[in-house]
Amino acid sequence: MKALIVDDSAVMRKIVINAIAQMGITDVGHAADGQEAVKEALSGNYDLVLLDWNMPNMLGIDALKVIRAKGITTPVIMVTTEAEKSRILEAIKSGANNYVVKPFQPEHLIGKIKDTLAKAGTG
Amino acid sequence: MKVEYINPFIEGVNELFLTMLGCEALRGKVGVAKAKSDPRDVTALIGLSGPARGIVALTFPIPTALAMVSKLLGTPTRVVDATVSDAVAEMVNIVAGRAKSKFQTLSGDPINLSLPTVVRGNSYKVDYPSKSVWLDVPFESELGSFSLRVTFDDISKLK
Repeated sequence: MKALIVDDSAVMRKIVINAIAQMGITDVGHAADGQEAVKEALSGNYDLVLLDWNMPNMLGIDALKVIRAKGITTPVIMVTTEAEKSRILEAIKSGANNYVVKPFQPEHLIGKIKDTLAKAGTG
Repeated sequence: MKVEYINPFIEGVNELFLTMLGCEALRGKVGVAKAKSDPRDVTALIGLSGPARGIVALTFPIPTALAMVSKLLGTPTRVVDATVSDAVAEMVNIVAGRAKSKFQTLSGDPINLSLPTVVRGNSYKVDYPSKSVWLDVPFESELGSFSLRVTFDDISKLK
């Protein structure tokens, strides 16, 4: 299981990495903006993408749209401060498999990841 | 600017502290920020745009910033560096994000967030333009004191 952690905050990437290590996911890649996320996701090296929304160069939501338009079906969980229902609906319509609002506790993120991977048949 | 507009931001601070920092942040009295030199050391700012325009700022004394980053990462942090700037930027992002979701707008469109900016150093001065009113909320926590400041430039599209 390899996860791609996408967030422009290195501290938040570290927090996410620490959280998912608790469920045994220690093989991770990083991206700091939407463009890098697309590039990494298209490599086909990942089983899971954790994707921030507000980032420089390309928003996470736009990266998600590109990833799905390219036919990549890797499960994507948005991990973001964007908490409005309209944002969540936009993400789900754009192909997000799940949604986690910051701030979060590690157990909450882990639960969402487990649910997502189980539904995707890769958990 | 109505004082109650500060409440979603106070709630955002509380959610951040209880969820990710494992302690409460107790707020003091809401006041108006004064346009004078600010002795505190690390300030993270983020802009609001779209249905409401404004700025949100969190200002931390260095010891508070170091204690918070140590808690967030689970490793001691002793100097103010890029990691600390990154962390306080993410904190203001989270606080503003939680707060903006609690506002209802006339169009139904969410308020947008800018990317955060961090200012640090002992000699910087924060000036507040004469037409803007910045509400200031001091907080105390077991990680140290800090303050939240918010100003709105345009709230005509808020319900």
